[in-house]
Amino acid sequence: MDLSYVMALLLFPGYAFLMLMAFFLEWLDRKTLAKVQDRYGPLLVGPMGLLQPLADFIKLLSKEDMVPKGANKGVLTAAPILMAALPLTALFFIPMNGHRALVSFEGDLIAVLFILVTLALLIFLTGWASANAFAAEGAMRSALQMLSYEIPLALTAICPALMAGSLSISTIYASQAKAGLPFLAFAPPFGAISFVIFLLCSLAERERVPFDAAGAVTEMVAGWMTELTGRRLALIRLGRNLSFLLMASLMASLYLGDPITVKLAWLAPLAFVLKVMACAILMSFIRGLMARLRIDQTLRIFWTYMIPLAVGVLLATKLFLMFP
Amino acid sequence: MAALTPKFDIERFGALKVGSPRHADILIVTGPVTRESMPRLIHIYEQMPEPKLVMAVGACAISGGVFAGCYNVCGGACNVLPKVDVLVPGCPPKPEAIINGLIELLRRLRRG
Repeated sequence: MDLSYVMALLLFPGYAFLMLMAFFLEWLDRKTLAKVQDRYGPLLVGPMGLLQPLADFIKLLSKEDMVPKGANKGVLTAAPILMAALPLTALFFIPMNGHRALVSFEGDLIAVLFILVTLALLIFLTGWASANAFAAEGAMRSALQMLSYEIPLALTAICPALMAGSLSISTIYASQAKAGLPFLAFAPPFGAISFVIFLLCSLAERERVPFDAAGAVTEMVAGWMTELTGRRLALIRLGRNLSFLLMASLMASLYLGDPITVKLAWLAPLAFVLKVMACAILMSFIRGLMARLRIDQTLRIFWTYMIPLAVGVLLATKLFLMFP
Repeated sequence: MAALTPKFDIERFGALKVGSPRHADILIVTGPVTRESMPRLIHIYEQMPEPKLVMAVGACAISGGVFAGCYNVCGGACNVLPKVDVLVPGCPPKPEAIINGLIELLRRLRRG
């Protein structure tokens, strides 16, 4: 194993960069939300409050660690670790430096989708193991939500793969550069509709407004996270930020490829980060604009509208490929 | 709470409202403690992980205020909880005063 690979693993598209990006996206999310609500947001810790998420993380690490009586300690210990580690693993499949991901093989898109399902299952397990009525109810809602968004998410993620003729995220990204158009603009209405479905599904995956019934503060205390404290909560929050990064960079790599920056070696990572930031700001913006949907409304939206729409877009893309 | 809204915005200092006492660092008591609410207040306080701080906002929360001496009022947070770190007087206290209380708490944390 040569040195540049180790450096890549530890520094640039590797651990250090991903962790920093995760904290940065939390800051961006809080700042965007604050701007939408005409507030300042974090301001005093570090320049423009940039270090606030890191400070929160360190604070949580130093807090008392409690496990309620009757809770399953094993699950509550393992789930936070896995919840931080799994999105980190999935992020290695994303072509952050513009051409090739750290790890890529034919079918890594399926692997990433599988990791997303596993994350949802971990959320359910955490809530269930907490031995708390609110956490269990939050976990139930979370599982219900997973049943609704996973199918359109998988169906719509197949569209760019179909266009590229490959199930590897790196190849999909590269083929968009070759085609000269990002998938979003390709096959005019279908790419855009597919992007919107993917955006809605990633909002549901992240349990953000309008699909945050599973962690609704006003009715459910804190949903499935209710009983978590200290280090466990710190790791889970880091994991949630990493999965935010994962969804934003999946969006950037599946839908927003471009032919220009890929050729410029030093510009490509910067362009990718900018694309990820744009997707993240879009998600935060929606969070600021919308109200919460009830869990049954979420299910109805996904089952009655999103799934047929996703199937339709998939068929249309296939037809477009057959008869251009 | 005006302190959370655009004009004052305590998120500038990094403070957020959380739903679960398990996630909280600061407990803010904003009203008189009644016999009905006393066990719940103590329960919530006990659920919070250490290090935890308590802030009593308003005259009612400090001593019971105009409700002090009512048959159903046990007084303020000071009469019920083991320690109250900061008292913010006023009826009602201004948002600036609440933020000042928060900063006093942060200073206290820094001193250790």
